[in-house]
Amino acid sequence: MLKQLDRADIDHLLDSLHTAYRLQIPQQLPDGTRHLSPYTPTSVLSLSGEIVHRKPTSFFFPQVQKLVSIDPTGHARDLQKVEKPLALFGLNRADLMGIQFLDRFFLAAPADDIYLSLRQDALLIGLTGFSGPDKSFLPLSTGNCDIELVALAGHWLALGHSTIGKKLLDPYARGLNSELEELRQRDENSSGDLELLQQASHLLMNDLVPDSFWAEIAGRCILCSGCNMVCPTCSCFCVQDRCFEETTERSRVWDSCQFDAFMREASGHNPLGTEALRTRRRIHHKLAADIERWGEPGCVACGRCDRSCPTGIGMMAVAGEIVKRYGAGRR
Amino acid sequence: MTEERSLYNPKSCRILAVSDLTPQEKLFRLQLNDGSPLNHLPGQFVQISIPGLTEAPISIASSPTCADYFEIGVRKTGLLTNALHRLQPGAQIGIRGPFGRPFQLEALPGKQLLLLAGGCGLAPLRSLIQYCQNQPSVYASVHILYGARSPQDLLFKDELLHWKIIDHFSCQYTVDQNPSGSCYDGQTGLLTQLLDGVQIDTENCCAVLVGPPPMYRPIIRQLRSKGLVGPQQIMLSLERQMRCGVGKCGHCTIEHLSCCCDGPIFWLEEIEQLRGAL
Amino acid sequence: MNTTLTTCPYCGTGCNFYLLHDDIGQLTGLEPAANHPVTRGQLCVKGWNAHAFVGHPDRLQTPLIRKNGQLQPTDWQTALDLLHDKLRTIATRQGPDSLMFLSSAKVSNEENYLLMKLARAGYGTNNIDHCARLCHSSTVTGLVETLGSGAMTNSLSCFAETDLIFVIGSNTTEQHPLIGSRILQAVQQGAQLIVADSRRIRLSQHADLHLRHQNGSDIALLNGMMRHISQEGLEDRTFITQRTENFSALQQALEPFTPEYVATITGLSSQQIMDAARLFAEADRAMIVYAMGITQHSHGVDNVRAVSNLALLTGNLGRPGTGINPLRGQNNVQGACDMGALPDVYTGYQRVADPQIREKFSAAWGVPLPETPGQMSTHAIEAAAAGKLCGMLVLGENPVVSDANQTLVYQAFEKLDFLAVIDIFMTETAQLADLVLPAACYAERDGTFTSTERRVQRGRKAVEPPGQARADWQIIAELLRRCGLKGDYTDPAEIMNEIASLTPSYGGIEYSRLEGEGLQWPCSDNTDPGTPILHTRTCTRGKGHFSPVTYRPPQEMPDLEFPLLLNTGRTAFHWHTGSMTRRSHLLDREERQAFVEINPTDAEKYQLAERQQLKVTSRRGSVSVRARLTERVPPGQVFIPFHFAESAANVLTNNALDPESGIPEFKVCAVRIEAC
Repeated sequence: MLKQLDRADIDHLLDSLHTAYRLQIPQQLPDGTRHLSPYTPTSVLSLSGEIVHRKPTSFFFPQVQKLVSIDPTGHARDLQKVEKPLALFGLNRADLMGIQFLDRFFLAAPADDIYLSLRQDALLIGLTGFSGPDKSFLPLSTGNCDIELVALAGHWLALGHSTIGKKLLDPYARGLNSELEELRQRDENSSGDLELLQQASHLLMNDLVPDSFWAEIAGRCILCSGCNMVCPTCSCFCVQDRCFEETTERSRVWDSCQFDAFMREASGHNPLGTEALRTRRRIHHKLAADIERWGEPGCVACGRCDRSCPTGIGMMAVAGEIVKRYGAGRR
Repeated sequence: MTEERSLYNPKSCRILAVSDLTPQEKLFRLQLNDGSPLNHLPGQFVQISIPGLTEAPISIASSPTCADYFEIGVRKTGLLTNALHRLQPGAQIGIRGPFGRPFQLEALPGKQLLLLAGGCGLAPLRSLIQYCQNQPSVYASVHILYGARSPQDLLFKDELLHWKIIDHFSCQYTVDQNPSGSCYDGQTGLLTQLLDGVQIDTENCCAVLVGPPPMYRPIIRQLRSKGLVGPQQIMLSLERQMRCGVGKCGHCTIEHLSCCCDGPIFWLEEIEQLRGAL
Repeated sequence: MNTTLTTCPYCGTGCNFYLLHDDIGQLTGLEPAANHPVTRGQLCVKGWNAHAFVGHPDRLQTPLIRKNGQLQPTDWQTALDLLHDKLRTIATRQGPDSLMFLSSAKVSNEENYLLMKLARAGYGTNNIDHCARLCHSSTVTGLVETLGSGAMTNSLSCFAETDLIFVIGSNTTEQHPLIGSRILQAVQQGAQLIVADSRRIRLSQHADLHLRHQNGSDIALLNGMMRHISQEGLEDRTFITQRTENFSALQQALEPFTPEYVATITGLSSQQIMDAARLFAEADRAMIVYAMGITQHSHGVDNVRAVSNLALLTGNLGRPGTGINPLRGQNNVQGACDMGALPDVYTGYQRVADPQIREKFSAAWGVPLPETPGQMSTHAIEAAAAGKLCGMLVLGENPVVSDANQTLVYQAFEKLDFLAVIDIFMTETAQLADLVLPAACYAERDGTFTSTERRVQRGRKAVEPPGQARADWQIIAELLRRCGLKGDYTDPAEIMNEIASLTPSYGGIEYSRLEGEGLQWPCSDNTDPGTPILHTRTCTRGKGHFSPVTYRPPQEMPDLEFPLLLNTGRTAFHWHTGSMTRRSHLLDREERQAFVEINPTDAEKYQLAERQQLKVTSRRGSVSVRARLTERVPPGQVFIPFHFAESAANVLTNNALDPESGIPEFKVCAVRIEAC
C-alpha cells in the first residue's frame, strides 16, 4: 500500500531504525561533500543534492576489508560477525542498481561470505523523485530496495518493496496513487545517459572501436585509479597480509585494472601489458563483458568516475567519444 | 566449524616431502592436517597460503586416484614461491581449494589423447597423465609430448621414462638447447618438431595443451593443419594471476570469463575469439 | 564510518581528503573532498592510497636507545632526558655549532617552527636545515634575488586561464599528478604546451613542442630562446621598462647564445630553439612550470635565474595565467622553508644576519640568539664526514637514502658522537641512530601544511598514534621545556598564533580562518583574504631584477670509462625513500624493486636484455638494478628512481654542490653498466 510521509515522519522513521540498525544517512561534510554518515539524533539530514560521493557499495565491500586472521601456528580464524546490520538511507536509482549488480556478482556461487555478512540483513532505503541537486527530479527505482521514498514538494510518497519495508511503513498515512503515476510518466524521459551507454556498448560488442582509440585515451590517463575506486560496481581486489606480533591479518583492498601489476605475473608476463589494453578493459568490461556474463552492463551511469577523473576520461566521456566517432549513421 | 568456514579461510596443511625437480622447481607432497582427501580433479589448482606473503595459485600435479596426499610442482618466481622453496618436510602451510574447472575427463574415453606440455606445464598435465595411467585401456592411445628449455629444465625425468613403457602410452620429449658438455642424449628441437612426427587419428583425437603462453599459437596452428578442426578436439589450460580462486577478485578475467572458475581448462573454441586469451 | 578532513601527506599540490575510520580507531579508506578548490573530488594514485601505511605493523611504537650496539625500548622520560643531556653537553663542550638539526618537509608548520626555535633559542645554533636543500633551495636563492620571494608566483587555478604552458624539468603528471592533469585539461581547452625534458614523459605526448635537450643544458636553451626573442623583437618592452632593472646586462650576456651555438650544447636543432622562443613569446599569457630538472644541478641557482629572466623578458608575471611556477615537492616543503627551517632565516625569510630581526626574535623568545648563519644540510654532511660535527637531531628525514653520494653520508653518520632520529618507521637513517623516537604520522596529529601555491591548510587528527608514539610538536615542546623555554603549548593552534605574531607573511593566519579553503600567504592580518598571485603591481623586492647567467656544464659528464649519463628521480607510485609507499600494498606491488631505464639502442650496444639484473657503477659506487628497455630515455642516458634503499640510486649520484644553494647535482653524473 502506498504511504505518505512528512518531514517529521522521516525523523520518526530514522529514529525508529537507528536502534536496530547501524543507520547511515546523507549529510554534508565540512567542504560540502555529500556523504552517507552515521545517524545521530543531532545529524543534519540532507534530503536532496548530488549523488552521495562515496559509493554506497563501499559499506558492503569497503576499501580495506579483513578476510581472516592467522595465528603464529598457521591456524586461520574466521572473523567475528558484526552485531548490528546496516541501514543505508537516501540511495538513488543508480546506486540501488549498483548494489544490485554487486549483490549478484558477490553472491553468485560460491557466495562471498565476507560480503554477505554485511549485506544479508542490511536495509536499503531509496530516495528518488525531487531529491536531486536543487531538488531536481531523479528517476524512480526499479523496486530493488526495502523502502523507497519519492520526494514531492512538501512530502514523500513511501513504497514498501520488501516485507520488512512494508512493515516499517505500517504506522504512516496513505499516499495518493495518482501522484505516483504522474512521476512514473515523467520517468520515461530521463534516461539519456543510459541510452548513450547502450550505443557505446553496441559498438564495443561489435568490435567497431579500433585499438588506436584506446591508445589515445590511455595517453590521457595519469593512472590515478580513481575511476575504479569510485565505481559502485567495481569489485576487483587484491589481498594483503600484515604481520603483527600475535597474528597475521589478511585483508582485501580495492584494486584497479589500470595498474600494470594488476595482471602482471611473477615471470613478467602480462596479458594486460599496455596502457591501451588496460584502458580498453576498463570500458569494455563494463559495457560489453558484463553484458555477456550477467546480461546487464556494469555501468549504472552514476557519474562518479567522470567526476573523479582528473583528465576527463571517465565512462560517460569515453562512451560519448566512442558514439561520436564510430557511431555515425548507426541506431 | 568446517561447514562455516569462510571462502577465504585456508585449511592447514602439512608438507610430507620435498624433492628437487630442477634447480628452479621443486615438488611438494602435501596432506591436509585433518587427514581428509583434497577431493580434486586433474587440472584443478589450489591457493597456497603463507602468512605474510598472501597466496599463490598452484596447479595440482598428482592424480586424485591417490587419496593419501597430493603434490604440487612449484617454480621459484615470486616472494611466496621463494619462501615455499625454503620450507622443509613437516612445515605447515595453508591451502584453499581445489578450484577451477578440471580437464574435461568425460570427453576423453575411447579417444586418441595427445598430451602436450611445455616448460613447467608438465606439472599440471601430470595429474591427467597419472589419472590416465591408472586405466590405460579406457583410451585408444595416449601420446605425451613434452618440450623444455634445456636438459636441466626437464621435469619428472624418471616418470618420462616410465610413461614410455606403459601400454597404450607413448612419450617423447625434447629440449630447445642442449649446451655442450651435457650428458643428455635425447632429442633437441622444438615441441612442434615432435608433433610433426605424430600420426593423428583426425576424427578420434583430442589434444590437451599445457604450457607457457607463447607455446599455444604455433601448436594450435599445427594441430589445425593436421586436421583437428572439430569442436572439443583441443583443450588447453590458461594461466592467469588467480588471486582468490573463486571468481571474485578479477585478476584472472579474460573478457567476460574468469580463468579461475570458468577455467583454467577451456576448449579452444570457448576462448579462441576472446581478446587476450591466447 | 567516521570522517576527518585533512591534507594529503605526499606532494606539494595540497589535495584534501577525508580519512575514513571505524569505531576502534583504524583507517578504512579515504574519500577526496568534492568541493575543495584544489582537490575537486579527485586524487592521484598515492593520494588514493594515503591511508595504507598508517596502521602498518612496522610503525615505531616506543622510544629506543642504543645499548651494547642494539636499539632497545625505553620510556619517554629517559629518552628525552638523554636527548637533551647529549645535545646540551655537546653544545657546551664542543660549541653549539657542532650540533646540526634536520627538520622535515613532512611535519607541520608548527613543528618546523618549534624545531627551528629549539635549535636557535634552545641550543644556540643556526645549524638547521631540511630537505628543501635537496629540492628547491636553488629556487629560494634564485627567485629571492630576482623577485624578492622564493615561491610559486601564481595559483593552480591559473592553469585554466593561460594560453601557453612551458614545462621544463618537471614530470608533472607523475610527480604532481593533479597539477599535471590541470596541464592536460588546459591543452584540451586549447592552451599550447612546450615540454623541455630529455625523457619522453606523458606530457610530451601532448606537447606542441617537445625539446629533448641534453641534461644540464637548460641555461643554454633558455638563453638561446631569450636571445631569439630579443632578436625578433618579441620581448615585452613596456613590462621591461616599467617593472624591471638590469636589462642591458641581460642583453649582453645573451649575445653569444646564437641558435647554432645553443644547438651544439643542447643537442637540439637551431630551428627547435627558434620555434620554442617564438611560440613562448607570442603567447599573451604564458606560465613556466619547473621542478627538479631545473634545480638539482651544480648550477641550479643559475638555472632558476634563467627561468626568471625569461618570464621578465616576456612580461609573464603578476597576471592570471602567467608566472614562474616552481612545483614544490613535499606536502610541507613550502611551509618548512616559510617556518625558517633554514640556516640563514627565521620565519617568513627574515634574515638571521639582520640585527633588528634577530632582536625581535630574541625579545619574543627571551634568550640571546646566535648571529652567524648556520650550515646547509649538504655542507653539514661533509663537515660530519670530516669529523667537524658532533651531534645531530634528524626529524622525519632519511638522508642515507635521499642524499647524494651515500658512501659519504654513511661516513658522516658514523663519525657523529650522537645521532637522534624522530620518525614513524625504522628508516635506514634511524637504524644508525643512538636514539630513536616514535612519532605520530599525518593522520594522528593536528597542524598546518603550506602547499606549493602558498596555501596554508589544516592537517587534522583522525586516529590515535600507535603505542607510545607522540606528535612531533609534543616531542619538541618537551625539549624546549628542558631548555628553559616555553614548552607548555596546549595545541598547534597556539603555536600558530606565536608564528603569526612573529611573521609578517603569516600575520593573518589563525586556525579559525583555515576551516574552509585555507589561506594563501602573504596574509598580513586577520582581514587579509590572502594572495593568490604574487608581484601583481610591483615585485616583492620592487623591480624585477634581470640576473644574467652563462652556461657551464655539469660537473661530471660521460666519458670513456663511464659512458652513460645517469638521471635520477621518482616514479608515479613511490614517494622519495619509500618508507611510506613501500608499505602501501598497491603502490608496493606496482613497483617492488629498483630498475634502470635504458634506451633500446644502448641495450643493443651493451647487449642487455629486458628484466636482466645489471650492475650500474659510477665513480662513487655500484648498485644492482633490473633493466627496463624503453624509449622514455634518449640514447646515452639512463634513469634510476631513488626510492629503493637496497639498490639506492644515491650510491651513484654526485655530491657536486651548487656554490650558492648547496644543492647536489642529482640529475647528472656518469655511469657504466654491465651484466651482473
